[in-house]
Amino acid sequence: MKEQVIRFEINGEKAEVYADPTLSLLHLLRSRFNLIGTKEGCRKGECGTCTVLLDGQAVNSCLVPAGKVEGKKVLTIEGVTREGALKGKRVHPLQQSFVEKGAVQCGFCTPGMVMSAYALLRDNPSPSPEQVREAISGNLCRCSGYKQIEEAVLEAAKTMQEKQG
Amino acid sequence: MSYMVAASLEQALKILHEKGGNVQVIAGGTDLYLKKPLPDLVDVSSVPEILGICRDEGMLSIGAGVTHTEAAASAVIQSEAEALAEACRRVGSPQVRNMGTIGGNLVNAAPAADAAVALVALGAKALLVNHAGSSREAFVEDLYAGYNCSYVDGSSEILLRFLVEPCGQGMGSAFMRFAPREALSLPLVNSAAFVRLRENIIEEVRVVIAPVKPAPTRLVETEKLVLGCKPGEDIWRKVEYTAASEVEVRGSLLRCSEEYRYHLVGVLARRALKKAVERALNRQRR
Ligand SMILES: Cc1cc2nc3c(=O)[nH]c(=O)nc-3n(C[C@H](O)[C@H](O)[C@H](O)COP(=O)(O)OP(=O)(O)OC[C@H]3O[C@@H](n4cnc5c(N)ncnc54)[C@H](O)[C@@H]3O)c2cc1C
Ligand code: FES
Ligand code: FES
Repeated sequence: MKEQVIRFEINGEKAEVYADPTLSLLHLLRSRFNLIGTKEGCRKGECGTCTVLLDGQAVNSCLVPAGKVEGKKVLTIEGVTREGALKGKRVHPLQQSFVEKGAVQCGFCTPGMVMSAYALLRDNPSPSPEQVREAISGNLCRCSGYKQIEEAVLEAAKTMQEKQG
Repeated sequence: MSYMVAASLEQALKILHEKGGNVQVIAGGTDLYLKKPLPDLVDVSSVPEILGICRDEGMLSIGAGVTHTEAAASAVIQSEAEALAEACRRVGSPQVRNMGTIGGNLVNAAPAADAAVALVALGAKALLVNHAGSSREAFVEDLYAGYNCSYVDGSSEILLRFLVEPCGQGMGSAFMRFAPREALSLPLVNSAAFVRLRENIIEEVRVVIAPVKPAPTRLVETEKLVLGCKPGEDIWRKVEYTAASEVEVRGSLLRCSEEYRYHLVGVLARRALKKAVERALNRQRR
């Protein structure tokens, strides 16, 4: 398909790219912006490791044609890390909590898990365990058994609340 | 070849007209984007006419571009078209529900498309407009053309909205589904029901089950059985038996056996109908 200009916002910065609009957002991010924190697993919406936020909502970037992001805001795991850095930390409290709770094993699902958790905490700063499980239900993890991930998200919610208060 | 994001209905129709069938409407893309090779696409997901949930002359008017997330979270749909909220809530995963639309769910025409099953039970009507600008109305029930095949032609026509009668006094609906996992799992069987009671007698009923045919299927014998009845413990066993007897299902190595599917058809039809009746009775009391 012919390339066309796509203008959007990526991690808070304006971006303009000449690309095939039917390319997936996942590939656009990885190959044109070198944002390789977003992973490719199944390429069909089943695993969630490619999760990013599109206008604040968690989506599978492998299912989003690049043309769709015209005029929209995309947030990736790199943007979340930077949010932490802006507050003088190495990473975002969610990422810190994943490390501390042993929620990262091989790590392949982690960027997607963090993005789904980030979307949850933005709408709901103190979720119940059920709500955490629901929020990450579109993300598969082959290593952890999910328990540590659930704990990490609940712990991060607490830390983030304390800082606010 | 191109990907065009339509900002208005007028623009979308103009593109369909000019392309003379060599273009395809895309909404959330969760079904279409996985199909290769892709045709030229016109993205209608920002067209105002297909968005939002409102009231229109006493009916609920639900945009075809409403996502599963929006439908499941809508207070109006939760309280006046429960079956649809319950169905959308069970689709795929949060990520899929954030992108996937109820219009796309119907036009993609999967036999057990969750939202479509609920819309058939609710007796929903679809409003459509074609590239030449002429509109039509059709019952959702009549829009399946076959297996994964719809009478809505996404290369020349845009599905705008669904009209659903809001559940008021003596009315109720419900949706049930059984799948191997809670998320990211297509249903082995799903079912939705709608009832209207008058003085505790069922005077209108729709019970839908899928996948038993290419399209969501009304259980006509089961409906006949309960029509005019006063719902009580004695009818539920008969409902279960009749529902399972009036359909033909197949098993599959990947999903489940034939026997299990017959069992699920009976159980889910009974539960959906029973829940719809409970809700209708609650509304009568209020
Ligand atoms: C991982 C995964 C899990 C899923 N799980 C479920 C599930 O549990 N249950 C379920 O029912 N479905 C499921 N789906 C299928 C899919 O998400 C839904 O069918 C969704 O509702 C489709 O909507 P969409 O907006 O993404 O459609 P699109 O992919 O944009 O379009 C689908 C079809 O509809 C046409 N179309 C869309 N909108 C219009 C319109 N307004 N007018 C005319 N034509 C139109 C398109 O041309 C295309 O032919 C799943 C999909 C994935 C990838
Ligand atoms: S790579 Fe997108 S969901 Fe698996
Ligand atoms: S840590 Fe390996 S897949 Fe989740």
